[in-house]
Amino acid sequence: MVLLPDLQQHDEEVAEYNSATSSRSWYHNLLVAVALVFTLISVAFVATILWSSRSAWSSVSTLIGGRGWQSPTGPFGGLAMIVGTLETSIIALAIAVVIGLGTSIAIVFLIPRRLRTIVATCVELLAAVPSIVYGIWGLLVLAPFMLNTVDPWLNSWPLAQYIFGSPGQEFGTSLLLAAIVLAVMILPTFVAISREVISAVPQELMEASLSLGATRWQMIREVVLPTARIGLFGATFLSLARATGETVAVALVAGGVANVQFHLLYPGTSIASWIATEFGEAQGNEVAALMALGILLMVISFALSLVSRWLVNRQRKVLAMV
Amino acid sequence: MTNIDELTPVEDGHEMRALIRRTSNNQRARRVLISRVMMTLCAVAIAIAIVPLALLVYQLLRRGIPVLSTTFFTKLPESPSLTAPNATGGVSNAIIGSLALNIYASMMAIPIGVLAGVYLAESNSKLASTLRVIAQTMAGAPSILMGLFAFSLFVQDIKIGFTAIDGSFALAVLMLPVIAISSEISVRNVPNTLREAGLALGAKPHKISMKVVLPSALTGIVTGVILALSRAVGETAPVLLVIGGGYLNTWKPLDPVSALPLMIYTNAKSEWPSLRAEVWGIALVLVVVIFVLSLGARLWASRKQQVRN
Repeated sequence: MVLLPDLQQHDEEVAEYNSATSSRSWYHNLLVAVALVFTLISVAFVATILWSSRSAWSSVSTLIGGRGWQSPTGPFGGLAMIVGTLETSIIALAIAVVIGLGTSIAIVFLIPRRLRTIVATCVELLAAVPSIVYGIWGLLVLAPFMLNTVDPWLNSWPLAQYIFGSPGQEFGTSLLLAAIVLAVMILPTFVAISREVISAVPQELMEASLSLGATRWQMIREVVLPTARIGLFGATFLSLARATGETVAVALVAGGVANVQFHLLYPGTSIASWIATEFGEAQGNEVAALMALGILLMVISFALSLVSRWLVNRQRKVLAMV
Repeated sequence: MTNIDELTPVEDGHEMRALIRRTSNNQRARRVLISRVMMTLCAVAIAIAIVPLALLVYQLLRRGIPVLSTTFFTKLPESPSLTAPNATGGVSNAIIGSLALNIYASMMAIPIGVLAGVYLAESNSKLASTLRVIAQTMAGAPSILMGLFAFSLFVQDIKIGFTAIDGSFALAVLMLPVIAISSEISVRNVPNTLREAGLALGAKPHKISMKVVLPSALTGIVTGVILALSRAVGETAPVLLVIGGGYLNTWKPLDPVSALPLMIYTNAKSEWPSLRAEVWGIALVLVVVIFVLSLGARLWASRKQQVRN
C-alpha cells in the first residue's frame, strides 16, 4: 500500500558507496546468506506445494474443467471453484471500484483538510481488520438479513429467476452474499491506495485546468483521473488479488457447495475457501487435488500482483515526468 | 450544443458576441449542474461506503462487550450440552496459542526479514533485484497458501504432526516479505550524507551499516515489523490447516494449539447459539489488539519523526 520512493538516483549513489568500500566483510557475507535463505524459502514455498500436488496433475483436465467433487475417491473437478472465484471476485470488484472511486474523490476534494488525516487513518485501520471478522459479520448478521429481506425483494424483480435462481431455495449464504462481503472487505484496501494516488496528482495541473474555466468535476474527469489512471488500475488489481485469495470470509458466507452455479442467490464456493473447508477431512489423492487447486490460486495471484506492481511503478514514473 | 464555427458568418460583431455569450452561459450552467450532480454522487458513495463499515464496528461493540468477562479470559473452553447450553467456558487456550504462535513467528521472521531488507537497500546485485520481485510477489500471495506450504513441509515431509511450530512457520512466511519490503524502504530513507560522514571517518562498511544506518532506520523498521505482526495476528487461513486446534493452555512449540481467529472460525460454524454469540467477544479482542498495534506503531513513528525534525 506504500508507493515505493524513486529509487533510480539512490541506486547510483549506493553503487558508488559500495564500489568505494568493496571489501568483502563478514557482514556482507551475512547479508548475502540471509538473502539466499529468503530466496530458498520462496523456492521451497512453490516447490513443496507443487511436489505435494504431483499426483493430481495426471487428471489436469478434470481439475480445471471437471464438474463435481467426489471425496474421498474422486474425480475432483475444479470448475465450480474456478467459476465461483471469478463470479464473487468480479462482482465484488465492480461494487468496490465504483463506490471506492467516489469515496476517494470525496475524501480528497470534499472533506475539509483538517478531517482528511483522520479519515485516511480510519480507512487504513479498517483495511487492517482481519477478514474473519468480516466473515462472521456476513454469516451472523448479513445472512439472516439477506434471507428475510433482500432475497424476497430481489426475487420480485422481473427476470429475477434467471439471475438469482427461482425463489424458495435460498439459504441466506450465497454467492451474492460472498460478493457483497468481499466488496465491503476490499473497499478500504482500494480506497487506501486510490486516495494516495489521487492526492499525488500535482496541484499545478489541477490549478491550470481550473484557471481555464473548468468546473470541479471537469477538472477531475479531464485531469485528475487520466493522470492517476495507471495507479488506479494498480489499486484495482491489488484489490482483485485480495478478493480472489480470500479464504475464511468466503468459506463462511458462500455456502460451501461445489456446484457450477450461475444463480447468484444459490450457495457456491471459491478455490481458496474450498481448500479451507475440505482440507480437514481430506486424505491421499484429495489432499493432492487441493494442493493442485492451491497451485492454481498461486498462479492467479502471482500474475495479478506482478501486473499491479508494474502498473504502480509506471504511475510513479508518469508522475515523475510531470 | 451549437458549434459557433459552423454558423454562417455574422457581419455584425455585436450579434456575434451576444451569441457567444449566450452559448457560453448556457454551457456554463450545464457544466456547473453536471459538476454538482457528480460531486453529490461522490458524497453519496462515501456515505454508502461508511454505512456497512460503521454497522460492522457497531455490531462488534454491541455484541462483543457483553461476552467479555473474567471467565472469558482465564478459563479453558467447554462444550455446551443439552443440560448446559450456555456453558462455553473461556478462550484462555486461544489467547496463549495466539501469543505463542506470533512470538515464535516473530523470532523466525524478524531477523531474516530485517537483514534481507538491509541487503535489498544496500546492494544492487542481480540477487537483490530478483529478491525484491520475489518479496513483492510473496507479499501478495493468498494466506491459505502459507498454510498449504507449512502442511506439506511439516506434516507430510518432516512428519512432526499438527503443532504450534507449523503454524508459526506459516505466519513467519507471511510476515517475512512484508518486513523485508518495509525495512528496505526505511534503510533507503536514511540520508546518504550520514553514510558519507561515516566513510569520511574511516569506518568499515559493516560498522557504518550497524552503527549509523540501522539506528537511524530503526523507527521505520520497527513500525514495519509491528504492522506485519498486526496482520499475522488476525490471519486464520495459514493456521487453520496446521495447528491442530488444541484445547489446553500450552506454550510448547511441539504441542497442538488453538488461536483466536481459528476459534472464531470454528465457533461461528457451530450449531450452538451460545458459541456463536461468544464469537463476537473473540473478534472484539482481536480487533482491539490489532488497532492498538497499528495505531500505536503509526503514532510512535510520527512522534519520532517530529523529534528528529
